[in-house]
Amino acid sequence: MLPDKSRAVPRGTESITEWSSGVIHLSADLPEEPLFKIRANQTWATIDFREVWAHGELFFLLIWRDLKLRYKQTALGALWVILQPLMMTLVFTVFLGLLGHPPTKNIPYPLFLYAGLLPWTFFSSAVLAGSYSLITNADLVRKTYFPRVLLPAAAVCVRLPDLIISFAALLLLLLYYGIYPPLSILILPLIVLNLLLLAMALGAWVSVFNIKYGDVGTAMPIILQLLMFASPIVYPASLVPHKWEWIYYLNPLAGIIEGFRAALFGLEFNWSSMFSSLAITLLLFVYVSFSFRWMDDELADTI
Amino acid sequence: MKPIIRVRNLSKSYDLIKPRHTKLTLREAFARAIKSPLQYVSGGRDTETEILWALRDVSFDVRPGEVVGIIGRNGAGKSTLLKILSRITKPSAGEIDLYGRIGSLLSVGTGFHPNLTGRENIYLHGTILGMKRSEIKRKFSEIVAFAEMEQFLETPVKYYSSGMYVRLGFAIAAHVEPEILLLDEVIAVGDAEFQKKCVEKLKELRRQGRTVFFVSHNLEVVRDLCQRVLLIDLGHLHEDGDAATVIANYAPHTFNL
Repeated sequence: MLPDKSRAVPRGTESITEWSSGVIHLSADLPEEPLFKIRANQTWATIDFREVWAHGELFFLLIWRDLKLRYKQTALGALWVILQPLMMTLVFTVFLGLLGHPPTKNIPYPLFLYAGLLPWTFFSSAVLAGSYSLITNADLVRKTYFPRVLLPAAAVCVRLPDLIISFAALLLLLLYYGIYPPLSILILPLIVLNLLLLAMALGAWVSVFNIKYGDVGTAMPIILQLLMFASPIVYPASLVPHKWEWIYYLNPLAGIIEGFRAALFGLEFNWSSMFSSLAITLLLFVYVSFSFRWMDDELADTI
Repeated sequence: MKPIIRVRNLSKSYDLIKPRHTKLTLREAFARAIKSPLQYVSGGRDTETEILWALRDVSFDVRPGEVVGIIGRNGAGKSTLLKILSRITKPSAGEIDLYGRIGSLLSVGTGFHPNLTGRENIYLHGTILGMKRSEIKRKFSEIVAFAEMEQFLETPVKYYSSGMYVRLGFAIAAHVEPEILLLDEVIAVGDAEFQKKCVEKLKELRRQGRTVFFVSHNLEVVRDLCQRVLLIDLGHLHEDGDAATVIANYAPHTFNL
């Protein structure tokens, strides 16, 4: 006879006192209201930001994990981060430079390019990483519970150190050209915050589609490539004909990258484009926090 | 006594034939939208779609300190129940109220990253399972001792044997110490000696008054650990009673499958 069988009492309630033997009396501490209510019906709701906040430690651990893995396995490590925009700068300088590059208001063209490619490289790699975050962590989504939005958000934030490193390289480049950054550089963190929010919203949004539709993975690089040329990266926004400007600035990246450059070189700010970028980003952010929640409920069954 | 888990009329359905969840290509999605726009707008559910009820109208209460075994054939709905309780997936109907923190271990070593060391994975996995960093720090040596892997702490887990992998996974989960612990067939891992250790650990959790939910095909272990057993069959809660009786009723069926 197994030891506990003899003590077994139907439903077990009477025997609890015997078992708990004074170690912990959890039953006494039961809250009045349930900690969690699990319900089937979906109401219109956003992501539970309070719950996301409560998982802050996990968020930073996920970022730490990805950073650790990235730098563990590459020989050149952080150097790659600078090399990517640098290579692209080189390519565009050679090709567009030889063909007669677009007007850049006395800014050396390589510098102009690098200053645009830097936020762009961050944005495109962050959105791409975000869009694959659920798939690469499918095991976690299937077998554990935490706010899933942490995955795309962390994947996007993992790219932030890259941005900082390549920004340091940019400062060196500025000094090389004998340009001293103006005071307007202080506004850069706000512009980067806007860029970060945009990348998070898009990364999270696409990550869900990436599970449902196999094509997304193929389409993403193409869309990003098109987006790059729809943004003022290799050319200034001043090249865009005036009557098309309102369409052009529907692309929130346009205002962000122009602003980035203006802050860096002390050019005149195009405030209306920067604020419309922010407004579009916030709208997108709100939309995604609804739609992600809505699709989140099916994730574990789909992935 | 007040229940710590309250489950009422819980159902979960999956679409079988044309699951909405399978990967459609965009072309297929467009084609569908064009062929039958109304259906698409109304959710794209095909009428001939067969619905599989993984759980149907399940209700029960669990009181604090109970150790409940869940038994049933493969595909009966046991794992689905644990998945819903741990909030991984949503129910299709019904309600659940939880009056305690849930920790679930649905498969051993989920979230381990092969290229990270044992030490790093303890922190990662522990946090995923809901522990605070300070908590992990405090229990670190205890976890390592339980898994018996002191000398492999700085080794990436991809070099671990499968036994070590499993031991570490269980060791972390067993030290999460939530009020409600959900375990899916995780005792059936490791060698006999480690299994014994797992069972001892679960008994200790039971003594501490924790509520344990425990899916297993190992009826011996279920009988040993649980006071109460739920028998689930084809999504229905077939039987709910004291361990010996339910297992005795169930055992004959297992032989004529």
